[in-house]
Amino acid sequence: MRHLVIWFLVATSAAADFERDIRPLLQEHCVECHGPRKQKGGLRLDAKPFAFKGGTDGSAIVAGRPSQSLLYQRISSRDDDERMPPHGPGLTPTQIAAVGSWIESGAIWPENDADRAAAVDPRRRHWSVQPLKPVPTLASSLGLTPQQLSVDAFISAKLQEHHLVPAPEADRRTLIRRLSFDLHGLPPSPERVAQFLQDPRPDAWELLVDEFLASPHYGERWARHWLDIAHYADTHGFERDQLRPNAWRYRDYVIDSLNADKPYDQFIREQIAGDVLAPTDPKCVIATGFLAAGPWDFVGQVETRSEMLRRAARAGDLDDMVTQVITATMGLTINCARCHDHKLDPITQAEYYSLWAVFAGVKRGDREVDPAETRRLTETKRTLNEDLTRKRALITKLAGEGVQIAKLIPDESGIDLRDGSVTKKKSGYHKDLTPNHKVSVPAIAAFQAVFVPDGPAPIPKTNGHFWDAIANRPLNGQKSTRLGDTDYAGAGHSMLAMHANSGLTLDLPILREQFGLKAMRLTGHLGFGASPEAASSLADFTVLVDGEVKFQRLKLRKDENALLDVPVPENARSLTLITTDGGDGLNSDLLFLGDPKLVAASGQTHPSPADSALLSQLRTESQQIEAQLTSQPEPPKVYAIVPGGETPVVKVLRRGNPEDEAEQVSPGAFAWAGHATASFGDPSTPESQRRLALARWITHPDNPLTARVIVNRLWHHHFGQGLVNTPSDFGIGGDQPSHPDLLDFLARDLIGGGWSLMRIHRQILTSQTYRQSSGGSNPTDTANRLLSRQNPRRIDAESLRDAVLLVSGNLNSERGGPGFKDFNYTEAYAPVYDYITPDQPGLWKRSIYRFVVRTTPHRFMTTLDCPDPANLTPARNQTTTALQALTLSNNGFMLRQAKSLASRIERETPQLPARIDRAFQLCFQRPPSPAERQAAQILVLEQGLFPLCRMLLNANEFVYLD
Amino acid sequence: MKPPSRRNLLHSFTGTALASLLHGEALSARNPLAPKPPHHPAKARAVIQIFCPGGLSHVDSWDYKPELTKRQGKPFDAEGKLQFFASKPGNCQQGWWPFRQHGACGRWISDLFPRLAGLVDDMAFIHSMQSKSALHGPAMFMANSGFILPGFPSMGSWVTYGLGSSSADLPAFVVLPDPRGLPPGGVINWGAGFLPAVHQGTTLNTDPARPPIDDLFPQDEFAHLKGDAERQSREFLQTLNRTHAASRQTNTELEARIAAYALAARLQLSAPEATDLRGESEGTRKLYRLEHPDIGPFGRQCLLARRLVERGVRFVQIYCGAENTTAKKVRPNWDSHEDLVRDHGYWGQILDSGAAALLTDLKSRGLLDGTLVICTTEFGRQPAAQGAGKGRDHNPGAFTAWMAGGGVKGGTAHGHTDDLGFKAAEKPLFCYDLHATALHLLGLDHEKLTFYNNGINRRLTDVHGHVIKDIIS
Repeated sequence: MRHLVIWFLVATSAAADFERDIRPLLQEHCVECHGPRKQKGGLRLDAKPFAFKGGTDGSAIVAGRPSQSLLYQRISSRDDDERMPPHGPGLTPTQIAAVGSWIESGAIWPENDADRAAAVDPRRRHWSVQPLKPVPTLASSLGLTPQQLSVDAFISAKLQEHHLVPAPEADRRTLIRRLSFDLHGLPPSPERVAQFLQDPRPDAWELLVDEFLASPHYGERWARHWLDIAHYADTHGFERDQLRPNAWRYRDYVIDSLNADKPYDQFIREQIAGDVLAPTDPKCVIATGFLAAGPWDFVGQVETRSEMLRRAARAGDLDDMVTQVITATMGLTINCARCHDHKLDPITQAEYYSLWAVFAGVKRGDREVDPAETRRLTETKRTLNEDLTRKRALITKLAGEGVQIAKLIPDESGIDLRDGSVTKKKSGYHKDLTPNHKVSVPAIAAFQAVFVPDGPAPIPKTNGHFWDAIANRPLNGQKSTRLGDTDYAGAGHSMLAMHANSGLTLDLPILREQFGLKAMRLTGHLGFGASPEAASSLADFTVLVDGEVKFQRLKLRKDENALLDVPVPENARSLTLITTDGGDGLNSDLLFLGDPKLVAASGQTHPSPADSALLSQLRTESQQIEAQLTSQPEPPKVYAIVPGGETPVVKVLRRGNPEDEAEQVSPGAFAWAGHATASFGDPSTPESQRRLALARWITHPDNPLTARVIVNRLWHHHFGQGLVNTPSDFGIGGDQPSHPDLLDFLARDLIGGGWSLMRIHRQILTSQTYRQSSGGSNPTDTANRLLSRQNPRRIDAESLRDAVLLVSGNLNSERGGPGFKDFNYTEAYAPVYDYITPDQPGLWKRSIYRFVVRTTPHRFMTTLDCPDPANLTPARNQTTTALQALTLSNNGFMLRQAKSLASRIERETPQLPARIDRAFQLCFQRPPSPAERQAAQILVLEQGLFPLCRMLLNANEFVYLD
Repeated sequence: MKPPSRRNLLHSFTGTALASLLHGEALSARNPLAPKPPHHPAKARAVIQIFCPGGLSHVDSWDYKPELTKRQGKPFDAEGKLQFFASKPGNCQQGWWPFRQHGACGRWISDLFPRLAGLVDDMAFIHSMQSKSALHGPAMFMANSGFILPGFPSMGSWVTYGLGSSSADLPAFVVLPDPRGLPPGGVINWGAGFLPAVHQGTTLNTDPARPPIDDLFPQDEFAHLKGDAERQSREFLQTLNRTHAASRQTNTELEARIAAYALAARLQLSAPEATDLRGESEGTRKLYRLEHPDIGPFGRQCLLARRLVERGVRFVQIYCGAENTTAKKVRPNWDSHEDLVRDHGYWGQILDSGAAALLTDLKSRGLLDGTLVICTTEFGRQPAAQGAGKGRDHNPGAFTAWMAGGGVKGGTAHGHTDDLGFKAAEKPLFCYDLHATALHLLGLDHEKLTFYNNGINRRLTDVHGHVIKDIIS
């Protein structure tokens, strides 16, 4: 009935006037949800261009056709769930009719100022996407020549404008301490401070800056800032937080690149497409570790059987990659465009997915950094192993000692049950293999096959899972290698570890031929590689000769073991060893055989004297080969990106949902950028060319963001805040620059100076602005954005740890290499990381070399505001908490280092008053005041030097820089 | 500076300077944990959240599905189209425990939870919960932080960020992990993400043999650092810091750090007191069944939670279950893939005993009204058997959460699943809505509680979340 009335009204009423009838109605009833604040359904009705563009459901207004116009359909709907506006009684029939007749009569919408303004996208007028100002323009706005431009020129111009005066220069002790922590993350030595205090040269400061920049500590310090942005860590994260043993090479790449002052544009290009630019240069391949530095979900990417879950995990993976690249280099928060066009910045949803298309062809994984070197190493090892096997076979034959089964496997290695490969890797837990599927072992001739057993009787049924490998070393997580009184990992023994559920079949004819044996006996000592006191666990062991069970122990307990002596007839063709889980799951079923051997059934024969001589020679040679094999390095790998097969098609995902695909996109970037084409090809473009195009597009000298963003990051770390205070957000939601011209000057200077970061450091560090005292404050500029003084700062977690180690005399200055692990590691479904108090030099390296675990962050570091490496962290939070006070006063690391500091001083300085001075010099780089000296003396006389050292490391002066 | 004698130092330490520090005056201006006014009047003052990691099966516990019983043994997915996390579905599997009606509200609860069943008139159930991930790691992160990725602040962090601390000498957000180990995803489940680290959860060691908080006191060869000698060291530090700050008065952080050391000293007294259960009555110890070898440890966690809330802690999170490891006799959490009766049977009695004791104890002390108790898991389990076995696979499509106390209307329920418990059917919800409701009860508007990070004002509830009005009083 209502509808009839409306139709009647539409048909009969005079054409509605837009300004009188419609605009106010839209403003009053629609714009709250469909306007500048909210855009429900992607629709805006506050200005003409948006209204006619429609929303995600389709066209809101189709001129002349109310029935096809969603606006009309929805306001006139009789369905309560459909009708707009959603709350209240809805529009009156007269109002609905007015809208209807307005559309019917052509939907004439005369443009007013608001409509016209809306037609121009304000996002494209944003300051940060405008070209850099030319140097002459920057100079003339200050009334200077380009040669006169400097950091100070821009800063003092603003200060004058605000009637502020700069603070005086800080004293030299303050300056060198500030510079040392700033560039090295370490305090200066008292000797270097004294030297600087007395340096009469007029350019003593400039020389100090150069000296500090030239030190390798510079790269160790500044790599930390870049790794924060790259959210680098040494484990995968998520539920099964596994190790990334090869990630560190990327960390070293960053350190080395900074120390070499690698041009910043090249640094970026290498990290995005180094493997394309220089595929044979290991450094360039390692650089792509950047793209893989973030977290990765093994369970979602690999373990689950659900394709849908895999797609979701992969979507998260690609989002992480593109977000990291664009945020780090250009300071745009593009992940906001994953579900809809970016609300603030000029990034459409399609552009966001066109960046996915750039990376869709790569996955994270371990990658050989130098294929030629890998080939060489593999070949050497193969030859050595073959040689060793031959020699061992000959020894066995001559000595008549029998075959050591475990020694058929190359040392410290195992056989991966998934593919029969011989590997030093611990392959972890698997449950997705086909039971009783025999896999051949090409590398070991005498091994016919390995498999995961599961029945048939009399072989027990199992759960079909297995752990690690069949190995000649202790298994992953194995607690003991002893059975009875014998340690089978000890010299003169061998062990064959076979965690349930696993099976191994030996090829007897080949064995006989290799070792000259006939009828044999299988001997060995069977038991668990777990401590007998551990919780109960059962396992079974079965030996078959030609498929017939010749030995079986069912439900063997952890505290039991057994001796094997199984006859193997001369004509037998196969010998199979099987471990199964005893019906209670495979946890702790770390079975192994001690000294498993095949010996001649007829007993030992004594070698002739000639054979004895040959034997001894062979034994010496074998030992030499063994030593050579042990010293062979693993082929160098890096955790980086691995291009794989065909590049999948990328489509826009509606609301970011991987199950709701829309149109296909081609690789590309943001259309607003005028500096170079933002199209990187079409769906047939090889993935390598896509990444290369993006790398070049980002580092194009006319890209206004890349240079602005990096010089601001440098500024941020030198002053504690950036010229733009949101270093990773140069979008409309981010901060406005306090000194836009200075930012452009530094950006121009960076590009003009061949993208040298050290040049920008020098520009900043040699300025009077940097050298100001940090005292006082200005009531008109409490945030100190105009920099009428330096900002006092607290040192971060890494600097604090390193400073403690340096002053205690324990800092291990060894550089590079695999991360030090200050935790006990227990292999498990989700590995367990238990931190220990670092008490030996290997763990006293600089914090940049720490092995960073994602799910179990280092509590000491986290308490001191070290960020979660799941996050891209352009600026660290700084908190002051009671837990920090507890950690710094009571943590075992702090206490032991304080003790070391005390012993160091006692060793180096014989007399008490001098010892107190030395302690202050080491910690604060100044002597104590008379009052401090006296207070310290009371403490030391009553309690010794240790409490003094402990409290100096806790003092505010130790952790704050003026 | 006049050189202070030992006596002078002692005097000043116990004198007015210290007194003002102890009352937090110097700290309050910059203290990020200073109490903040709520957005609207709060109904709950504190939260105790019990988290059951691994995936608690709703169809075996809280969600009564008679239709599933009728279809017992019939194929769940006759066409074979579905693929769950680890398996293809087997046949329909009815709840392994019989359901009965309980309380004045007549809610159906399975026999897995006999004690909690007696308290249903205090509990409000949300049956239509869903998760965006079927993987433990991401789903844990989502349940705790609203995002399936790591790196976002947990609910407890948001709450302390929004309200500050109401305890002068205990942390505002305390976590009691299962003594068997950390839950899937590790300690970042209670991390502060991009919020300042002061808002991260403080882990309380649940092993009574260890000090309640790491580094609370020097350990091992330094354990002798206490008493007068320790006090003398602290006084020396005060002297140093005071002298240093005197010439740097504009740097207020220095005062804050001095105050943090004073707060640490208070924590050394308050934390051992809060965790010392010796003063609890025999009746209370029995209620929580502290002596039981399997049930006792969780009872202890629950009792500790009550003591912490009593002492002003804002947010306590208790884990009932640890990380997955490969096939132990009993799974170390609720993730019952192969034998649901074995694993839920084991964990069920633990949760039932501890949670029921907690509700009873809070109620008898008049604390329940001001304490919101939440019981959650990261996802539910499938109504079908896992393959041909006795377990169930992950089900992100449906699970049940419940709340009690703190402004919750007891004896109510919100939403329901389809006939089999496969998917949330009516009023489907995500953790956003649970979080929005919890914040609402604490006096916080989830749309107003924001923090700027990398280009966006982040919220616990992302761009989602509605307060579930019909379960609050």
